[in-house]
Amino acid sequence: MARVLSASGLRVAALILFIALYTVYSAGPFAWVAMMSLRTTSEIAADPYALPWPLHFEKFASAWFDSNYDTYFFNSVTIVVAAVAILTVVGGMAAHCFARYRFRYKGVLYFLIFSTIIFPPQVTVIGLFQIMVEYGLYNSRVGLVMVYVAIQLPITIYILESFFARIPSDLFDAARMDGYSEWEIFWRISFPVALPAISTTIILNTILLWNEFLYAVVLITEDDKRTLPLGVLRFLGDQLEDVGMIATGLMIAIVPVVLIYVFFSERLIQGMTAGAVK
Amino acid sequence: MWRRRYPVTTSQDMRAIPGEADVSGKAHDHANPRGAIAIFLLPALAVYAAFTALPVARTFYNSVHLIVPNRESEWVGFTHYIELWTDRIFWKAVWNTLTWAFAAPLLEVTIAILLALCLYARVPFSRFLRIAWFTPVLMSYVVVGILWMWIYNYEWGALNEFLRWIGLASWAQPWLGHPDTALASLIAVTTWMWTGFNMVVILAAMSSLPSEVLEAAELDNCGWFAKLWYVILPLIRPTLLNLLVLSFIGKMKIFDLVWVTTQGNPLWATETVSTYVYKRAFQWSTFDLGYPSTIAVIWFVIVMAGVLGLTALLRQKERLEY
Repeated sequence: MARVLSASGLRVAALILFIALYTVYSAGPFAWVAMMSLRTTSEIAADPYALPWPLHFEKFASAWFDSNYDTYFFNSVTIVVAAVAILTVVGGMAAHCFARYRFRYKGVLYFLIFSTIIFPPQVTVIGLFQIMVEYGLYNSRVGLVMVYVAIQLPITIYILESFFARIPSDLFDAARMDGYSEWEIFWRISFPVALPAISTTIILNTILLWNEFLYAVVLITEDDKRTLPLGVLRFLGDQLEDVGMIATGLMIAIVPVVLIYVFFSERLIQGMTAGAVK
Repeated sequence: MWRRRYPVTTSQDMRAIPGEADVSGKAHDHANPRGAIAIFLLPALAVYAAFTALPVARTFYNSVHLIVPNRESEWVGFTHYIELWTDRIFWKAVWNTLTWAFAAPLLEVTIAILLALCLYARVPFSRFLRIAWFTPVLMSYVVVGILWMWIYNYEWGALNEFLRWIGLASWAQPWLGHPDTALASLIAVTTWMWTGFNMVVILAAMSSLPSEVLEAAELDNCGWFAKLWYVILPLIRPTLLNLLVLSFIGKMKIFDLVWVTTQGNPLWATETVSTYVYKRAFQWSTFDLGYPSTIAVIWFVIVMAGVLGLTALLRQKERLEY
């Protein structure tokens, strides 16, 4: 059997090696933190890379109840759900308007809103901080929701507008014949027909806002209003050595996103790649 | 105020609507598109004005003032801009950010092309591999930052353990603690995060290529590298350029990852413009919001120029090819 590998055999071996190495690089960290989240800190200190046995599921309960993760998680869920709901309606209305009607300054307005996608956040964050203090929305969950709506609005309008524009206008003419008002046309025709695009934006916005950090760290300082990313970071600051517990906290932050990905992977990928594929 | 600044519509550019002539606008308010347009647009415009346009204007205003709490803001002209010119930390931050913004897109897209080719050639387990490669992008920078701080840990981090295991113990070092390696280590993290995303986009572009072209290349006895270089890559060029620009924009904004891991240390080796603005605005006890606003304004101009320049350059090339 001692045969010299052929050139094509070498090529296949190199390909397998490349794929294997990259997969370890890409999935390894996640597997590692998942294992650590089920092990106690003393077990990790003894051997950081051992398999989790016995499985310490109770660590999730203790992270949840003893480290304020329930508050952070609840805050994140409320803020994200509220922001995504407002975004879908407000963004949907604006996108419908841009796609269906012709009016003066439409191009200018669309450009103004759309150009904010490439704004570096520094240019908004300082002014936003001052304005939120003046509005009385500093350290407020309502304020953070409004800011989240504002930062995700351009991409939402962009995705929805391109979909709304492709709905055949015969559908709308027929609806007008039937005496639908403009609002009914939007709510009972555009919206249901565009449901695939709308669910794409919902999933995309949910994930991006769930992970958002910069605006939250600038606008929220009170512990009971922190979102999950801030909570995880605070926990890191307080318990620097408690690696096992931090890993559990990380998993609590990761799991919802992974679940969304598992159930809606196609929609999510569509949303994230919208605009990148020409 | 809204209507004055953004006249929403006038009757002459209204789209002709069947039956409109016999419907008076007053009697059927909802059927009048002018009112409808206003209703549809107003919420979005209000949010845009209050939480995007106004803050941006405020930052521009700040940049020529001294803004100290509990005092009237004081006009200082272009003092901040002049101070910025000699601020060595700022220029270090600009250098770091630009390094990141040019190195990371090239790394991400190059590796992503290779990975996409693997999946395009239908290697086994491609569904699993696609998930494994794409997942990092779903995590928040906070999670990613903490995770990679552990991986780069000197004593028990995965990278150093791996180096010791393959017999390169002398290479082991505190990757994020050393000025020479810190920035490169962080670039490796963003590459880890974003390569899978780029791969998915490139794979989608490759899959939508017309099969006749590829078959023609095969008939011409094209080698796989020639096929890649002369056929596939030119055809998906627009997608690749888009990805490069997107990644460039993302890296020009980078804040979270640096903030969680190094906060710009050691010795400003990983300071980015975002972290420097944040530090000057909310951390250093100078209490002045004017100077950080100036940094933000200058950076805004640089990013805009960069994006416009890149798109113009790339578009021009595209035109030449036709």
